[in-house]
Amino acid sequence: MPPPPLPPSAPAPSSAPRAALPRLAPLLGHPVSVGLLAVVLAGTAGLGLVLGAGTTPATAWNALAEGMFGSPYAIGSSLNSAAVLALIATGFTAAHRAGLVNVGGEGQLCAGGLAAAAVGLALPAGVPAVLGVPLVLVAGFAAGAAWAGIAARLRTRRGTSEVITTLLLNFIGVGLVSVAVHEEALLRQPVTSSETLPQSAPLPEGARLPLIGGIESPATAIVVIAALAAVITGVVLRRTAVGLRLRSVGHSPAASARLGLPVARLETGGLAFAGGAAGVAGAGLVAMAPSVLAEHFSSGYGFSGLVVGLLARGSLTAVAAVSLLFGFLTNGGINLQLAAGVPASSVQIVQSLLVLFVAAAMFATTRNRSTS
Amino acid sequence: MSATAPALEISGLTKSFGTMRALDDVRLVVEAGTVHCVLGENGAGKSTLCHVVGGSLVPDKGVLRLYGTPYAPRRPADALAAGIAMVHQHFSLVPTLTVGENLRLLRLRDLPRRVARVREEYGLEPDLDARVSDLPVGVRQRVEIVKALLREPRLLVLDEPTGVLGPAETDALLATCRRIAAAGHAVVLVTHKLGEAARAGDAATVLRAGRVAGGGPLAELPPERLVPLMIGRPAASLDAGLAGTIGLTEDRPSPGAGASAGPGTGASPETGTSGAERRRGPGALRLSDVGVRRADGSYALDRTSLDVGFGEIVGIAGVEGNGQSELMALLGGALAPDTGRVELAGRDITRAAPRERTRAGLGVVPEDRHREGCVPQLPVAENLFLGRLDRFRRYGVFLDRRAMNHAADAVLTGHGIRSGGPGALMSSLSGGNQQKVVLARELALDPLVCLAAAQPTRGLDIGAVGAVHSRIRQASAKGTAVLVVSSELSELLVLCDRIVVAYRGKLLGPVDPSQPDARERIGALMLGADHPAGSGTEGAGRAAATAPRPVPGDAPRH
Repeated sequence: MPPPPLPPSAPAPSSAPRAALPRLAPLLGHPVSVGLLAVVLAGTAGLGLVLGAGTTPATAWNALAEGMFGSPYAIGSSLNSAAVLALIATGFTAAHRAGLVNVGGEGQLCAGGLAAAAVGLALPAGVPAVLGVPLVLVAGFAAGAAWAGIAARLRTRRGTSEVITTLLLNFIGVGLVSVAVHEEALLRQPVTSSETLPQSAPLPEGARLPLIGGIESPATAIVVIAALAAVITGVVLRRTAVGLRLRSVGHSPAASARLGLPVARLETGGLAFAGGAAGVAGAGLVAMAPSVLAEHFSSGYGFSGLVVGLLARGSLTAVAAVSLLFGFLTNGGINLQLAAGVPASSVQIVQSLLVLFVAAAMFATTRNRSTS
Repeated sequence: MSATAPALEISGLTKSFGTMRALDDVRLVVEAGTVHCVLGENGAGKSTLCHVVGGSLVPDKGVLRLYGTPYAPRRPADALAAGIAMVHQHFSLVPTLTVGENLRLLRLRDLPRRVARVREEYGLEPDLDARVSDLPVGVRQRVEIVKALLREPRLLVLDEPTGVLGPAETDALLATCRRIAAAGHAVVLVTHKLGEAARAGDAATVLRAGRVAGGGPLAELPPERLVPLMIGRPAASLDAGLAGTIGLTEDRPSPGAGASAGPGTGASPETGTSGAERRRGPGALRLSDVGVRRADGSYALDRTSLDVGFGEIVGIAGVEGNGQSELMALLGGALAPDTGRVELAGRDITRAAPRERTRAGLGVVPEDRHREGCVPQLPVAENLFLGRLDRFRRYGVFLDRRAMNHAADAVLTGHGIRSGGPGALMSSLSGGNQQKVVLARELALDPLVCLAAAQPTRGLDIGAVGAVHSRIRQASAKGTAVLVVSSELSELLVLCDRIVVAYRGKLLGPVDPSQPDARERIGALMLGADHPAGSGTEGAGRAAATAPRPVPGDAPRH
């Protein structure tokens, strides 16, 4: 019985640790290496899908690359997508720090978009951008936060799981947008013929997000906002008392309450911020070309943002990286379908596989820790 | 069983965590048909040894033999298959399931027969329909032991099993150990209480700092010889309080246990006359007519009243599950009473949030250190100052970690807390040091009107017990009211000015610990048998309130 050498992985906790991890485990446990490994595996699966669609890998790659960064237009719209995802994932990360899982990004995004459209359309046509844009974004934040606040209140008052409530609120949010753009009494543009689309009138010029990449690129200020949000959130979570309090509540609500932390307020705040960030993302989607609120304007961003947040596993650096990856992949996927005839859904399959692999890796790395 | 092959034979066992050697060349022989005690302070390597035997840790070196055959467990299932049953310090019951469902999780064949056997042979009869989360800790422990016995093990390993048990339950457990041994099996009893070893053990091995410090048949090893082996210094250097916690004084109903504690222990009221300027008198913490109903309609606290005076140490004795947990939850702010009020220095805090209680000067050391006392996943410094982060600001917004670590360093040094520094995770500290951190944090409140501590020394080694006791006495000497809930009667006897006994939601007594018959009276009160009118068990709690003798704690007040 030769006992194998054990790595000194843990610094001697008194409550004897569980059986050893392999030496690789601490490295594998790092968010970045988990992400990389998952990307490689999912990429391999993607290759299989491409071949299955009867396209050569080279053609597919060219189409994908063209859609991702083949032109200033491609880069700009990829960046916009990435920014929307990053906002949602940033909020998810903040709420997750407080131990809450926000799966309601989609609904909060819809609430934000709805409020942004309502406010934007209520503004006079000649509103200056300095006033219009912040108003639209703040409306989005407030509406998203309020939407998430419903779930937060149910959680802190009644103990209802926020996973359930935020998830269900998604359907209501999506439905509300649909109702709003179908009813002329609400936000639908004036119906002049049977051709009139069920969507809102375009926002006034002063309520639209300014472009940041010149005429050629559709990249808007949402990219800057998302970057700022990620950086500030990262700093707050790491370097301030609020971040520490959120973490404490996330680890142990009971001990945090005993220590005098306002647990309910911190949880509500964390979830409301997540909703607010998703709301800003929704406002951004409404306030960029074509600057209307349309049915399905959310196009699943809320769920993809959740996936980004899950993959990033609490690291805001990873949020930025994964958002960019997903943003570019999504845009590339559209071109993949247009140019190479590979269904865009294969990109979605690859993204979903990514999540599966990361979840598996998370399971493998946490299972070996003390489970008591 | 064969006389040639010991039940368990361990030699050359070595296990390191990083640079720390938890076990160093440990040798241990457990004969079949005996109870073998593994003694040692916390951190001596007892738990690590258990985990190795139980297969949850793989040793670096060493050979284990079970009834003569080589035994090299790689996982807990191997240990189970080999007929070894473990009962760990931490419970492994699913709290949301009933006891019966938990037992069924073991997937044993003909479970009813096994349950019946355990009941007949060992007199352990768990309430199969009770939900585990509703059970007090002591009862959960018993369920754990039943779980282990259901497998009809050849070797039963108990890791600090009596830490959460009352005296009667401890006696029952030790008797159970004897029965298992008498049936020809072997029991390894891991404990830091010499009294238990002396009562139940046949032989002992003493661990100190991961090495075998000595051992042999207990008949040849009286406590006077065991104590130096355990702590590395003579027994005479222990004060009565410490001796009590390791069970040295447990067997002798010594009337002097409290009175002989000596100066500075605060054992008797007259030792506290030195500080004339400190605040005295009643009313630091006052509970009046506090009632808490359980979900099943019974009373966890049955219109209980209690007054703890400034500078007074009041102990609450009693078998667990008689309302002590609810009382602590009530004080901590996790539970609001159905009736009555709680006042701190005249201020109503019945429904105050924990934060307001802390501000008002109520320090609480919760019973469940890991769940409520601290956040194990956060560093020590954060655990010390989580409630007071506003003090560590930089540029108004940022957390000044440097200042926080610095302040934490001062606390760690001041309280003699051994840790890897302020940045070390709380979970990396030993139980004793964790408790010192919690206590240091609560004692640092300003003002500190009252300190309520539940099981403040549970699972702590002797040195840590001494440190905790002297901190509590110091606080009391400064005028802080102290309420100690403990299942260690010996501890209460040396620490407290007054002891009340929790029984079915009532607080009976008080008992003056300096009285010669204090121990007997408390023991009687724990069974609810103090009042002469006590004819039946039903309504005993209520009967006590109307008993002719002025026993209830609320008698002096209203």
